[in-house]
Amino acid sequence: MTRRPDEHLSPDDIDAWLAGHPGSAAQAHVDACEACREVAVADRELIEQLRALPVFAPSALFADQVMAAVALPDPFALRSLDTARRRLFATRRSLALAATLAVVVVASMAASVAWSLAHRDTIAAAGTWLTATAGQWLWTALRSAASSATEQPGYGMLRDLAATPARLAALSALVSLTYLGGLLALRKLMTLPSGPVSHANA
Amino acid sequence: MAGSRIELAGATDQEVVALARHGQEAAYRELVRRYERPVFSLVYRMVRDRELAEDLAQETFVKALNAIESYRPEFKFSSWIFKIANNAAIDHLRRRELDTLSLDGSPHAETPEAIEATALQIGDRQETALEEVEARELGGEIETAIARLRPEYRSCILLRHVDGRAYEEIAEILGLPLGTVKTYIHRARNELRLMLGHLKE
Repeated sequence: MTRRPDEHLSPDDIDAWLAGHPGSAAQAHVDACEACREVAVADRELIEQLRALPVFAPSALFADQVMAAVALPDPFALRSLDTARRRLFATRRSLALAATLAVVVVASMAASVAWSLAHRDTIAAAGTWLTATAGQWLWTALRSAASSATEQPGYGMLRDLAATPARLAALSALVSLTYLGGLLALRKLMTLPSGPVSHANA
Repeated sequence: MAGSRIELAGATDQEVVALARHGQEAAYRELVRRYERPVFSLVYRMVRDRELAEDLAQETFVKALNAIESYRPEFKFSSWIFKIANNAAIDHLRRRELDTLSLDGSPHAETPEAIEATALQIGDRQETALEEVEARELGGEIETAIARLRPEYRSCILLRHVDGRAYEEIAEILGLPLGTVKTYIHRARNELRLMLGHLKE
């Protein structure tokens, strides 16, 4: 892109001038235009001052604090994985063995899928039988639990407590209040501290 | 051990990262050693509070090192770590709306002890007494002027002219188009020139 000699420097021109490789037209303009020269020289001084700013160091314990919070990968596990990978590709024989094993696994899976597709009725019948048996067992277990609960000494008292609608309402209110109280206590326990806790682990 | 330290010191960032991925603690420490100062300096100049900067820099390293497996070696490690650090600082500034701060200490400091604790401290560079006075005076003016810039301009100018990063890398770090980065840097330089104009006399 060409520039007219009377055209003021663009930010890119100034960057090129600061980097020490302005185009000849841009250099001619800097030499001739006092306003642009002033901006370019001021920028150069500013950049020198910025480059001279010191690098700050964190506290001496910084690296240790970082390392204490970093979860290092288990080198043993990684090494085992690497060893396994290396052993697998070590010889043609080990590779052939691994490939055979992979073929056997894939072939068995494929055979299993094929058999399932060919014997859908058998699978459906087995599923129905399993569902019915499980339902029967569940029903029996429920009935046993219910009859054992009604034989407990506290059952009569509980039935008396819920005998009238008023008593039932009072019992519900008591249970709800206890639950609410528990929630509030839990919330208070789990509230984060409001003040700053910088360097808490220093 | 000393041998491995020398080996690590001469290794590229990518090589050190590869060793860290193999679970070598020394490699993790080497990454911290390489970047603790530039990352801390960037964050410190962004938030202007030493304790907070240390917390944010620590958070940056912990986040980066715990996610070292997700680091993509085709990008520069420096870009990755600076990106995390800058995001941490910008997020904090957005939360606190902490745009302008005094060089003499955090505006949140209420007691003289807190003001002293949060005051900007120059690193451990060796200087003569006169140089130190000059550096503090001139550095102080510039540091204050940088603090008055918008956080986006501040990140750009610090990465470009204090850290010496290329425009392309800054665009990558900040996730901004190259043109926007250039514009921000030129605007930041204009603002700084205006703020520091009185020093020329």
